[in-house]
Amino acid sequence: MALWDHPLAGTDRGFEMSASIAVRNFSFEYQGADARALKNVNFEIMKGDFFCIIGANGAGKSTLCNAFVGLVPHYFSGKIRGDILVEGKSMRQSTVAQLSETIGLVFQNPFNQLSYTAGTVAEELAYSLGNRGIAYEEMERRVQDVARMMRIDDILDRNPAELSGGQVQRVAFGSTFIMQPEILVLDECTTQLDPMGGEEIFDIVRRLNERGVTIVMVDHDMERVAEHADKVMVLDRGKVAALGTPQEVFSAADLDVHGVEAPDFLKITRSLYEAGMSGHKPDVTQSGAIDATREALC
Amino acid sequence: MAHALNSFHSLGTPLERMHPITKIVAVLALGLSALLWPDFTLGAALVLVLVVVAFLSKLGHPFMKLILGFGVPVAVMLLFIQGGYSSRNVTIIADWGFVRFGLEGIEHAAKLVTTLLVFLGSFYLMNKTTYAGRLVAALTQVGVSSKIGYLILASLNVVPQMQLRLAVIQQAQNARGLDTQGGLVARLKAYIPILGPVVLSSLTDAQERGMTLETRGFGIDGVRRTSYVQVHARRADFVVGCGLLLFLIMVAVLSVMWHCGIIPLPVLIGGSR
Repeated sequence: MALWDHPLAGTDRGFEMSASIAVRNFSFEYQGADARALKNVNFEIMKGDFFCIIGANGAGKSTLCNAFVGLVPHYFSGKIRGDILVEGKSMRQSTVAQLSETIGLVFQNPFNQLSYTAGTVAEELAYSLGNRGIAYEEMERRVQDVARMMRIDDILDRNPAELSGGQVQRVAFGSTFIMQPEILVLDECTTQLDPMGGEEIFDIVRRLNERGVTIVMVDHDMERVAEHADKVMVLDRGKVAALGTPQEVFSAADLDVHGVEAPDFLKITRSLYEAGMSGHKPDVTQSGAIDATREALC
Repeated sequence: MAHALNSFHSLGTPLERMHPITKIVAVLALGLSALLWPDFTLGAALVLVLVVVAFLSKLGHPFMKLILGFGVPVAVMLLFIQGGYSSRNVTIIADWGFVRFGLEGIEHAAKLVTTLLVFLGSFYLMNKTTYAGRLVAALTQVGVSSKIGYLILASLNVVPQMQLRLAVIQQAQNARGLDTQGGLVARLKAYIPILGPVVLSSLTDAQERGMTLETRGFGIDGVRRTSYVQVHARRADFVVGCGLLLFLIMVAVLSVMWHCGIIPLPVLIGGSR
């Protein structure tokens, strides 16, 4: 579906290297909080990037995701400084609904994603489309395609309030994805799924990114982040602690200071390299770890 | 698990297939007809019609429970108050010393009860045979704001959601040793500490719901909303709707003519101008 017919489909990655999201000196302090949740954050996410945000609990990852879609400051009030530009639109001057035409957020808690006004999963998926005045025929086509892709086509007639956590997570993802946003923000969106289900969703995310959709993902699976991210940003107590390619970020010696663990592949290749068993330099990817292990065994 | 939205369960009856707007017209036309007619006879006849419709719609048993459960106590109360103490009373039919029952008051009470039952019964049948999503889609089709549509859906959903939340909190409290079983007093004592978290979490839910709706484009301006739920009016809906409106107009005209003394209405029992 949208995966193949997405408005961005056919846009070769890397051709348009302008910023999808530009964060400019952004600080935010929740009302009544003692400290700022985000402190003078500066970075850019390029069009078509697969951008991962990692960090310990309370680092400010979800706050940043909420700021991308305008929930901060429009719903979470507090002191704000700086700005975030989403496809050139200021999140301070745009409403959440206006931003939602460009950027979609999949919440950490999938139950928060539901409108609770729909009697069936199909209606839940179509809810956002109705708000945009999409014609019924197009709605039906997108609902069927997304349902097939998310493997929820057998529960389209079920009541969303009666689904399991994993099923709700699939519906939540589908209800965002169906809007065909240019930017997709995923805030730990596979937590309720079993490992295989998580991989399925991630596979869809990866294919969307290949089609040109900018992905911003908060994830705790460092192997996955290291394997697929174009850029990784480490947030630590509201500050940007590191930003670069997975190889650059995960190779930093002080990674654990920021509450982040290096991927297992890096630990393996580093151990083999330091023990002199492999000439391969420490590598964050699975293929690098396989090569280094093969060399060590031969 | 609680069912979201209203208490609709598909039974595949003709009433269920009827256009929601036609059903709204029916509720208003029948209820107003009973209200406008000078005595209780039309209301009583309409209650009988509704009973037949309820049985034809496979809802006879719950409908009778509602009519009797509501109708009997209200009728007794109103008959006593209006029959005994109405200022309309002229013809005394019983004198119990402390209260004297007048025919006019009793007839007025009967009209009030039958009118209430027509409104209640027709609304009950509409609610039981109409899927809420279809109702809202039909309303927005005729130009009702999508925000009002959302309010209707969200309101219908409040009770099931609170029931669900109550069950979750109750389970959590049970796991921590709170006993919610036993007699009425014991259960009341157990439920009081649960009510606070239920109300607070419902308020939090409302805030989160607002955020969700906005991220899903609820606040987009200048767009004519569409709906996934398709509602098409059939010829039968049009005929029934027009018939009901004609019926209401006829009742209104006859009632006005009777009030003005232009025509006599032979079926009247104690109707007062």
